[in-house]
Amino acid sequence: MNKESRRLIPPGLSYLADNITSKDNLLGTSKGAGAKWAEDLRLPKEMETIFFAGCGYQYNSQLESLMSLIRKIDKSAISTERTMSLARFQKKLGVDAAGIYRRVMARGSNADAQPLRDAVKVLDSLGVKFGYLADEEPCCGGLLHYIGLHEEFAKHAQEVYNRLKSMGVKQIIGIIPSCTYTLRNLIPNSIDRHDLEVKHFCEVVAESISSLELRFPREVKVTYHDPCQLARYLGLIDEPRQILRAIKGIELVETEWTRGEWATCCGGGGGFEAVFPELSQILAVNRAKELVETGAEIIVTHCPGCIMQLKAGLKELKTNGVEVLDLTQILAMAMGV
Amino acid sequence: MSIFTEYKKEIMDAAHNERIRTALTRAIRTYRANINKALKKYPHTIKMAEEVKEIKEKSVNQMEKLVQEACEVIEDNKGKAYIAKTADEALKIIGNLVGKDKLIVKGKSMTGEEIGLREHLEELGNEVYETDTGEFIIQKLGSRPMHILAPAIHVPREDVAQLFSKLTGEELPPDDIGRLVATARKLLREKYFQADIGMSGANVVAADTGALFLIENEGNIRLATSAPPVHIALVGMEKLVPTFNDACKVAEVTWRYANYTIPQYVSVLSGPSATGDIEKVITYGAHGPREFHVIFMDDGRTKLAKHPILRQALYCLRCGGCLYECPVFAVTAGHFGDKYFAGIGAIWAAMISQNIEKAASMAYTCLTCGRCKVRCPMKIDTPAMIVELRKLIAEGDHLSQPDLAL
Repeated sequence: MNKESRRLIPPGLSYLADNITSKDNLLGTSKGAGAKWAEDLRLPKEMETIFFAGCGYQYNSQLESLMSLIRKIDKSAISTERTMSLARFQKKLGVDAAGIYRRVMARGSNADAQPLRDAVKVLDSLGVKFGYLADEEPCCGGLLHYIGLHEEFAKHAQEVYNRLKSMGVKQIIGIIPSCTYTLRNLIPNSIDRHDLEVKHFCEVVAESISSLELRFPREVKVTYHDPCQLARYLGLIDEPRQILRAIKGIELVETEWTRGEWATCCGGGGGFEAVFPELSQILAVNRAKELVETGAEIIVTHCPGCIMQLKAGLKELKTNGVEVLDLTQILAMAMGV
Repeated sequence: MSIFTEYKKEIMDAAHNERIRTALTRAIRTYRANINKALKKYPHTIKMAEEVKEIKEKSVNQMEKLVQEACEVIEDNKGKAYIAKTADEALKIIGNLVGKDKLIVKGKSMTGEEIGLREHLEELGNEVYETDTGEFIIQKLGSRPMHILAPAIHVPREDVAQLFSKLTGEELPPDDIGRLVATARKLLREKYFQADIGMSGANVVAADTGALFLIENEGNIRLATSAPPVHIALVGMEKLVPTFNDACKVAEVTWRYANYTIPQYVSVLSGPSATGDIEKVITYGAHGPREFHVIFMDDGRTKLAKHPILRQALYCLRCGGCLYECPVFAVTAGHFGDKYFAGIGAIWAAMISQNIEKAASMAYTCLTCGRCKVRCPMKIDTPAMIVELRKLIAEGDHLSQPDLAL
C-alpha cells in the first residue's frame, strides 16, 4: 500500500476498508457477533446451497452507531486536514468504537435482522433446502473494490472463494444486492473462478411465485424503491414487481420517471454515506419525497442500506403513516409465515 | 485548506442552497419531459445512437490519423489548421493569432473552458465577450459555468434582472424574461460587427471535409463565426469523425439528447468565405470571415484513448443528459465538478487537467449508482470508470508521475 496515495482516500472509507481486512466485517466487530439473528433458527452449516446474509441487515443498528462515529471522524478530519490515524482520532475524540458495538450487541434485539429471519422463513416454506455459514460467513469485501483497493480486494476475494469451497458450497442465495453482485460478478472476475452459482433471493422466489397463494393482511397501496445494485447492476427489475403484483390486497403505485433502471439512488451508494454523511441524508430525503408522492402507505425496498436511508429520509420529512419495509417482510406477511 | 476540504465545503454550501435546488428541480423536470417527447417523436434516435457509439469508438482509435486528414483538407480549402499537443501550446497558437487590444466575440466552448481561453486572452490585453446568453451572465457575474449546456442553470431570474439593470442603468423587472433576453441582445448586438475576431468550438468535425458542425438555438454562434473578419475555432481531437455523413449522425444524436429536439440552427463551416462571382476569380473574404483558423488540441486525449476503461470518456458527446440524472448534481450543480462535471468530469479532471487531488475528491463524490449510464446515448459506463480511477488513486505510484497510469 502506497501511503502517500492512500492519503487521497476519504477517512471514512479508509476506516471501513481496515475493518474488512482486519476483522472480516464492515463494522470491525468481533467475529460471529453478527450471526446471532439466526441462533434459534437451527440452520445447518454444511450444505451445497447456502443463504448469504451479508453485513448490512445483521448490523443495522450498529451501522447507525457507526455512522455517528464516521460523522465525528468526518468533522474532525476537516479541522485536522485528515492526516491523523484512526487510532489517534478515536483517542482524541474519546470515541470507543468497540464499546459502542458492545453496548448495541448487549441489547440483543433481533428487530433489525427481521428481513433476514423472514427471508429464511419464506425460503423454507418454498421448500428450498439451504444452510447458513453463521460465524464462518466471510464479508464479501465488495467495498474494497469500490474504494479502489483492488489488490486488497483480489486477496480478499481469493480468501472468500477458498472458504466457500472448503465448506462445500456450490450455490449461494444472496439477499443484500451489493454482496450478491460482488459474489456473482466481482469475485469471479477478480480471481477468474466461475464455478459458484449465485442467485438473488428475489429470483428464487419469483421462480415459484405462480404456485403460491399470497394475500396481504390488509388492502394497501405500496410503492417499490429499486436499489441501484439490484436494478442496474444485477438487472433484477421485474422480479420484485412480479412478487408484489402476485400478492392480493397490494396495489402497486409507482413513481413516474424514477422507477426500475431510472430509480433515484437513496444516497447510500458505494460508501458515499461514509464520505458525505450530511449530503447522503439530503439525498435520502429527496428520494423519500419522490416515493411518498406516489401516495403509497408502504415503501417496499430490498436492501438494508436503502432501508436505513429511506427511514432517515422519512423521519426528516416528518411524514406520518408511511413505513419502509423489506420485500422479505412483505412476503412473510403475505405467506403468513 | 486541502483541496478535498475546500471542495467538500463548496459541495455542502451548494447542497444547502435552496436556489440551486429549485433551479435544478425545474430543469430536471423539463429535461425529462422534453427528452421523452423527443424520443417518441424521433424514435430512430436510439438506433442512431448505437451507430454513433460505433463511429466514436472507431474515431477515438484513430484520432491522430483523422486530425492529419482534417488539417490537409482545411488547408486545401484555404483555411489554416494547427495541432496543439498541450493546453499551453493551444493558448500560444491562439495568443499569437489574436495579439492584443482586440475585440473578440466568443461562442460557448467547453474546450475553451478547459484551458482557460477567455482569461488568457483577457490577460493578453483583449476585450472578450461571451455571446451565449447564459455564458454572458456567468461572465458578467464573475462566476463559472455550472452545466455544460446551461451554464447559468443555477442563476435565478432575479439575479439576472439585477445584473442587467446594473449593466444598462435601467430598472429591469425579473418577471419579464423576454425583456432580459432582449437586453442581452441589445448589449451584444454591435459587438459582433465591431469585433476583430470571432471564436467558437465545434460539436463534431468531419475529417474528410474539414467541416465543423455547430449546434445552437440562440443564433449567437452564427453571428460570432460570420460577422467578424477572422474566425478561430478550438476543437478537442475527440470531436473528429471520419466522414461528413458520420458527423451528421453525431450531430443529430447530440442535439436530441442535449434537450434541443430540433435545434434552431446547425452551422457547418469548412473554410473562409469566398466568392468567384467577378470573372470567376476566387477571392477569399467575401461576406463572412476572410480567415478561418482551426486548432485541434490533444491535451492528453491520445494518451487517454489508450486506457482500456477510461477511454470511454472520449466518446462523450457533451449532451449533458447524464447531469440531469445524477442525484448529487441535482443538489450541487457544477460544484460537483472541475472543468467538466459529475462522475465523468472526474475522469477529465484526472486525465486531461491532471488535477489529481480534485479528481480524487470528485471520484469519491460519485455514488456509482449508474443512472447516468442509462441516460447516456453512448452508454458510457461512468461507475466503471470511477472505480478504475479510484484504483489509480488508491493504489497508484502513478500519481507521482504526470502521466497517471499510462
